[in-house]
Amino acid sequence: MSAALTSAEAKAASKEKPALAVHKYSLSYRTEAGLIAALRNIDLTIAKGETVGLVGESGSGKSSMAWSIMRYLPPNAVEQGGAIRLAGEEILDYTPHEMATIRGSRVPMVFQDPSTSLNPTIRLGEQIAEVLIRHRGLTKAEAYAEAEAALARTGITHPKEMLQRYPHEASGGEKQRVVIATAFACEPELIIFDEPTTALDILTARQILDLFTRLREETNVSALYISHDLGLVSRVVDRVAVIHKGVIVENGSVDEVFRHPKADYTRQLIGAVPDPERWIGVEAPAVPQTLIRLTNAGVHYGGPSLLQRIFQPEEAGKVGFWGARNVSLDIRKGELLGVVGESGSGKSTIAKVLAGLQDFEGTLEVDGRTIGSRKAIDRAYRRRVQIVFQHPDASLNPRQKIGTIIGRPLKLYQIVPRRQVKIRVGQLLEMVRLPAAYAKRYPHQLSGGEKQRVAIARAFAAEPELVICDEVTAALDVSVQAAVAELLVKLQRDTGTACLFITHDLNLIRQLAHRIAVMRHGVLVDFFDRRDARADDRNPYTKALLDAVPVQSSSAAA
Amino acid sequence: MSRGYLIRRLLAIILVLAIVTLAVFAITTILPGNAAIMILGEYATPDAVAALERQLHLDQPWYMQYLSWVAGILHGDFGTSLRLSQPVTQVVGEAFLNSAMLALTALAAVIIVAIPLGVLAALKRGTVIDLAIGLFSYLGTALPEFVTATLLLVFLAAPNVGPFPAGGFVAPWEDLAGFAAHVILPAATLGLILLAHVSRQVRSEMSEVLASDYVRAARLKGLSERRVIWRHTLPNSLAPAVAVISLDIGYLLGGIIVVEEIFAWPGLGRVLMYALENRDLPVIQAVTLLLAAIYALSNLVSDIIIAKLDPRVRYA
Amino acid sequence: MRRFLSSPSAVVGTTLLVLVLFAALFGPLIAPYDPQEFHPLARLQGPSASYWLGTDQFGRDLLSRILSGAPATIAFGVFSTTIGVVVGSLIGVIAGVSSGWVDSTIMRILDGLLAVPDLLFTLLIVTVLGGGMEHALLAVAVAFTPGMARIARSAVLSVRTRDYVRAAVARGESGLYIVGREVLPNALSPIVVEATIRVSFAIMIGATLGFLGLGAQPPSTEWGLMVSEARQFMFRNPWCVAIPGLSIATAALGFNLFGDALRDALDPRRSH
Repeated sequence: MSAALTSAEAKAASKEKPALAVHKYSLSYRTEAGLIAALRNIDLTIAKGETVGLVGESGSGKSSMAWSIMRYLPPNAVEQGGAIRLAGEEILDYTPHEMATIRGSRVPMVFQDPSTSLNPTIRLGEQIAEVLIRHRGLTKAEAYAEAEAALARTGITHPKEMLQRYPHEASGGEKQRVVIATAFACEPELIIFDEPTTALDILTARQILDLFTRLREETNVSALYISHDLGLVSRVVDRVAVIHKGVIVENGSVDEVFRHPKADYTRQLIGAVPDPERWIGVEAPAVPQTLIRLTNAGVHYGGPSLLQRIFQPEEAGKVGFWGARNVSLDIRKGELLGVVGESGSGKSTIAKVLAGLQDFEGTLEVDGRTIGSRKAIDRAYRRRVQIVFQHPDASLNPRQKIGTIIGRPLKLYQIVPRRQVKIRVGQLLEMVRLPAAYAKRYPHQLSGGEKQRVAIARAFAAEPELVICDEVTAALDVSVQAAVAELLVKLQRDTGTACLFITHDLNLIRQLAHRIAVMRHGVLVDFFDRRDARADDRNPYTKALLDAVPVQSSSAAA
Repeated sequence: MSRGYLIRRLLAIILVLAIVTLAVFAITTILPGNAAIMILGEYATPDAVAALERQLHLDQPWYMQYLSWVAGILHGDFGTSLRLSQPVTQVVGEAFLNSAMLALTALAAVIIVAIPLGVLAALKRGTVIDLAIGLFSYLGTALPEFVTATLLLVFLAAPNVGPFPAGGFVAPWEDLAGFAAHVILPAATLGLILLAHVSRQVRSEMSEVLASDYVRAARLKGLSERRVIWRHTLPNSLAPAVAVISLDIGYLLGGIIVVEEIFAWPGLGRVLMYALENRDLPVIQAVTLLLAAIYALSNLVSDIIIAKLDPRVRYA
Repeated sequence: MRRFLSSPSAVVGTTLLVLVLFAALFGPLIAPYDPQEFHPLARLQGPSASYWLGTDQFGRDLLSRILSGAPATIAFGVFSTTIGVVVGSLIGVIAGVSSGWVDSTIMRILDGLLAVPDLLFTLLIVTVLGGGMEHALLAVAVAFTPGMARIARSAVLSVRTRDYVRAAVARGESGLYIVGREVLPNALSPIVVEATIRVSFAIMIGATLGFLGLGAQPPSTEWGLMVSEARQFMFRNPWCVAIPGLSIATAALGFNLFGDALRDALDPRRSH
């Protein structure tokens, strides 16, 4: 067996050879527009036991690198020379069959989203065991016993029970532990992590990172950690490679890269990492004046159907859940109020209530006027309160031109006379730093960041007193995120508009917000002034959230 | 799947059938012609007609007619055929059995052939095999049953030459080989459109699953290609295929009408055509109700199968 | 447009569709013979130089009959679908926009009507109205209405939850503006795609009705009726059933392929 031979050779060679050595590797994709370069002259080395971070924004080529190492390239990929060596062996020469014996055993991979990378119709136990049966030749019973042990090592409390569950019966964190347990199951040499925490909540992500650190120390495995988040990567890796447009522009130890970045792009990335100690928001209003007050707001989703109430009255009471319950908060004129929480915490529900998109209980007070239901919200209120959504792709009508989209509030609220709409649209576009000529374009002709600027321009066109920003930076690349946040601050400074900024990014919100509200399971658990973020009387949940976000290396360097 | 869910589904089916009966009743009551005259012939005395009208409740308002008809159904009495002077249950019962044999043969053939074809096309995507299967299925969906049937007859049932009989029916318990010879052409005709549709659906589902993150993950775990296909891909492509098949049963039930007419198969379709020609209301109503009930029930059965195939589907 | 024609099935579909529409518009004008003219000496012939597609039991030229029957056959499919689509979409949009009890009442009724197979529904209505082309057309339109209503409703519902519609609601736009400017333009493409594919079904059902004697009546040259009239002679000259049968298939195939290609081209997931 040649495969057995090569693996024996590998064991002998791996003593001195690096776990992974990529040398002058280039890759292109064949498209209708001709060859498009994805990776150019890549040099990347991971020593035994070392973890290297590969950091880049979407389209930088970081994922292509992973596919190249795994030898899992689409049919239109064209490799243009170079070498990829695994413990000294040239894997570019391997047959697909030889590669199949390496994948999952010597080089496993951990994916971004455990809810899509696990097969929904197969029990978790089988999904671990099949790898052990395949690569270590265990019997079914041995494989399940080993799978249980592997799960226990990842800190799952009832591993035996977990083996019997289907993916949808486990939480995101549990699923990612299953994937990690599978990756560590066959004594790997090199693990490729592809954004393993991006799809997880803050606290879960923190636990997964800790788990990774612990397992790495226990097994001395090498790892390639792919991420868009420079701040996060700096916590878990020994060395960082920054990739931009298919070229590695920076390569060095974490400390070196943060202290003395050589490439402009690296500097730009470091600058874009939110730093809670660097305040970029507007001055807090001198005299606090309440703009809107929300009292005991509650939203109940999914009531029982008529048939259920008739036939299963005892179950009907349990149907549905509270998206938000007893939430009271006030928004002051000109301030930026941050609302943070994990997914499902109810932060977006509050945004929908304030924007008049959700039926609610409780009251909404504006200018001494009390509003008791969604139906009672009038157009005058709607003009004063505008909302910007998370996904700019979804919030702009694909069949309307940018000019029509931004011009609509101007016409609807009669902000300017009809014949001046065009001029005002141009001014608004320039205000969000887009060329006025964009008015003639359609949304799909713009990039994600540009579309979000259009959505912001539309909100500010109404000359509102409050703009609700619902995770407006979450769908954008790091460098674009920073630019959008700065744009919002500039607009706030120019117009004096208040802003309700909803996010899961604690570092970002501490740069912007005057006050911060923390939500969990639909309840407002904490509400404090930014200066008191680290005060001792903070809610334990707030403390846990603050502790979970990556420690800043850049501020230490500054 | 809870018992409560099943109860609610059955209630929904009953509601659907109630609407069907109302719609059918509404449509058929507008039908011109007097049922009593139809039974007694054109030369009946006015007294006799009036007496029969009373007996058939035709002198009552339509909603009373409807209610007494529904009450009859609940007692298993679908009325009496106006044309054949037999109880509707008797006329429809035997025909139903014959139709069921034809439909199930066609359905079984579709399932046995269509799913492997779809899988093959998805695995050989972009090759000549895929193209051939695609072409075949497009052609299949474009041929109405009467054209397929006519062409099959021309080429496979020509007098003295063709291997198959041009029509008729032999009960399988009397002569199994004879039944098989008679059922092949009508079942093939019925199955062709479904075959095309189902195999295309399986292909597209399968392609989608093959491109999913979890199949990619399975491949990157180094699993054998056989395990990736048979354990990770195929089971997940089947649930949508079942959904499509259950929707296609509606089509099958429509097709049966034409196919039975052409191949002289003594089933529901023929009974219905005969009843339509003769405005035999009780029969029309019973057959329509029966077909709708079969369709609604087959949808329920398919939902239950889907829940078995996909653990995510939970009916509460 | 170039992207649309990049797939082979789109090219084939478009070609067939152009061919079929051309026959429907100009067929009677370019027919070489009078479609009703008897040629007693040339009965039940196969294709030849003088009769390209052969002749039927009366010696009538099949090509001329196919060409002259094209308008009736195609127009039946297009018009019945159009009526069904317009009425169905209207009902579907009303259900989708109004939600609440209006929606659930409409949906329950649609569920009931959808439980009756299309062809059976059509047959029932034709029986009530009496046979003939116009009645058959109306019957197919009625039979298509519930299915189209359902598709229109789900198209509206899927658009209704998009953020740009929510943005319009949050702005305080009127219901009419939201439906007319934000929802409908974006819900239209699935409806158009479904309509195109349904034309092929309508053509097939129309021909089936003609075949059963419940649609077009003699001396019409509607293709389904042609098959039915020639059936007695099909063993002597298969051409006289095969030609109209395959013509129906060609027309149905054209609309079907074109609709599928349209769906692929309009699918946002496949663009970019």
